[in-house]
Amino acid sequence: MMPLRGGANRRLSFRAMWGWATAAALGALGAWGCARIFVGYPPPSGSPQALRRRELATLAAVAEALFPPGGEIPPSGSDAGIAAYVDRLVAASQPRQRQLMRALFFLIEHGTLAFPAPGGLSGLRRFSGLDASQREAVLDAWQHSGWFVRRLVFTSLRALCTLGYFADPTVLRRLRLAPYAIDTPVCEADLRYPRIGAAASSIPYTADDLTPPSDGAPIDLDGPWMAGFAEDAD
Amino acid sequence: MSEGDLRVFAGYDRDFTEEADAVVVGSGPGGAIVAGELTRAGYRVVLVEEGPPFTPGDYEVDGGLSMARTLREGGLRTTVGTVMPTMQAVALGGGSLVNSAICNRAPEFVLDRWCEDFDLSDTHLSDLDPHYDAVAETIGISPTPEAVQGRRNLLFRDGCDALGFSSEPIARNVRGCRGSGECFTGCRSRAKQSMDITTVPAALRGGATVLTSARVEAVETSGDRAIGVMGRIVAPFTGRPSHRFRVRARAVVLAAGCMATPVLLQKSGGIANRSGQVGRNLQFHPGVGVMGIFPDRVEPQFGATQGYQSREFLEAGFKLETLWAPPALLAVRLPGSGLDLKRRLADVPYSAVWDAIASCDRSLGRVEARRSGFDPKITWRLNPDDTPILAEAVYRLAEIFFAAGARSVLCGVHGFPDEIHTLEEAEILRRRTLRPSDLVLGGNHAFCTTRMHGDPTRGVVDELGRCHDLENLWIADSGVFPRCPSVNPMWTIMALARRTALALAERL
Repeated sequence: MMPLRGGANRRLSFRAMWGWATAAALGALGAWGCARIFVGYPPPSGSPQALRRRELATLAAVAEALFPPGGEIPPSGSDAGIAAYVDRLVAASQPRQRQLMRALFFLIEHGTLAFPAPGGLSGLRRFSGLDASQREAVLDAWQHSGWFVRRLVFTSLRALCTLGYFADPTVLRRLRLAPYAIDTPVCEADLRYPRIGAAASSIPYTADDLTPPSDGAPIDLDGPWMAGFAEDAD
Repeated sequence: MSEGDLRVFAGYDRDFTEEADAVVVGSGPGGAIVAGELTRAGYRVVLVEEGPPFTPGDYEVDGGLSMARTLREGGLRTTVGTVMPTMQAVALGGGSLVNSAICNRAPEFVLDRWCEDFDLSDTHLSDLDPHYDAVAETIGISPTPEAVQGRRNLLFRDGCDALGFSSEPIARNVRGCRGSGECFTGCRSRAKQSMDITTVPAALRGGATVLTSARVEAVETSGDRAIGVMGRIVAPFTGRPSHRFRVRARAVVLAAGCMATPVLLQKSGGIANRSGQVGRNLQFHPGVGVMGIFPDRVEPQFGATQGYQSREFLEAGFKLETLWAPPALLAVRLPGSGLDLKRRLADVPYSAVWDAIASCDRSLGRVEARRSGFDPKITWRLNPDDTPILAEAVYRLAEIFFAAGARSVLCGVHGFPDEIHTLEEAEILRRRTLRPSDLVLGGNHAFCTTRMHGDPTRGVVDELGRCHDLENLWIADSGVFPRCPSVNPMWTIMALARRTALALAERL
């Protein structure tokens, strides 16, 4: 092999150095990216059905920013168990919808890289790592963005959290919007259909169990709430 | 006639084949009527439904979980192009299980235009009236009684009266409504006469076989005839497929809905599409909702889900109506975050929500089968020329709210104040040109993807619902509408389906 001349040697080592430096930088970036995405999230309380701990952390942070303690309805987003509710909802969803919901959480959690919160470098932290005022500012920016897709991400995420907030019996009772107890008549269809997933043999009714249909009496606004929403159900 | 047979997911243990005079795919308002009429005429009918039957014990009063269980794609189905949620049910009884039971005859001027523009001769109101009447008797259609209107609905009437706009109690397929406002999550009072508790049991009494949790995946054909359908048993909620089934029949009726029927035709090798119209011409009634806040409690949770409407602006392109839904579903539309959002949520008991559905027949889309799975790709764009109709509808709703005494109105339009306190503030809706993305839309009435047309080169079915290309393949869902009907479509779907069933019964 011909020995390389000095200039070529230097160019090669310069290229090699650049190569190594680039690889090291990419490696560091990858490690930093992995750490940002995967590391440092607290273990979940309870046993989530579908969401990962990082997604639960994002949701908890969003829920607390959307529904902070105090105000006209006392329970906060955490009190109302929004993250656990969304976990149940994601578990009940089909794979494509699960992916879409997961994408929402990821966009909010790491969108601070593209749309940082106020506060200089600290505004680049992931959403769940921001302080309360920074989270509020970030959500406000998504909500009022001139870009439709950003608004859509925000409204979708807020919709999921609001569903969870209104699933809390305490919130519904506070607003007097809890569902009422209703005596459900037994009709012909009830003699034919079992509960979903059960065998036809499990149908509990016979023709003797049929009851008169609803008489159209308006529900009593001061009547009892549905089981599970009454105060003694807490 | 001997009693029929209903099969549920837990009852399937092997692949199987059924024989019938007619197989009907889909148990929503269209399919259930066809199955009922054919059974009554003495034919052996197999009714196939992908969803399970829901009992009151299976209902979820929570809006989100209810949607995840009763609606396709967990209630998260949207159009692409102009992004808009659109909901289709997957349950025995189809959409009738989770709709608000609104029944309107299509307006005379609409049906006259259908006849004129689509080469139809027998689809005037006078032609359909006998079918409307028969359906009304079957499912108990009558105006919502005053006793269960609730203040939320009556305020709408008061606002319309103050402005001189016509309004009326909405006719619904309900017997013994108690005003629980739970139409969208399943009526625990068993008052709503949905198909699962009316026409499907009637078909069973007449000897029909009803296969639930059975997804039809293809129509089988031989030459220019359909010879049956084939598919898989699917687990409720997950859709996981298991056993295979086949139904051989002398006639096939597709009533799977405006989204699923064209997908089924496309997945069956592109049948019934010599016109090239399968999946095309998709139209919606895009809807907008507006919330008004009143000085004192409205108690909006009480009252018929949708009890009052105004047809005042029908010819201008929109219909106005009252609305209630699980509080969570209404609250997702509220603006703001943090304590500001909580303040608005606390206003919900003082609020009423009214909405408009618009006839945007310049806004077209298409439904296409995806390479895998049976969920459609739905492309639709709101035509900029239709946007002013929706803006005007929002303005009119604000006008009615203020006339009824609302202290503020939340219009839900981007770039517009979150909350307005005078009608003058709403004037901007008339002055400014809105973009489609400025509006928060919903579109649950979908039409025209297998439209009827007198000319076989321009439509998929004829006036009676029979496919131009396959003489024993019929369609009986809202896909056959040649154009949107301007009012809630269920009753018209059922009237057309009854006509289809009677025509088919004559030919079987």
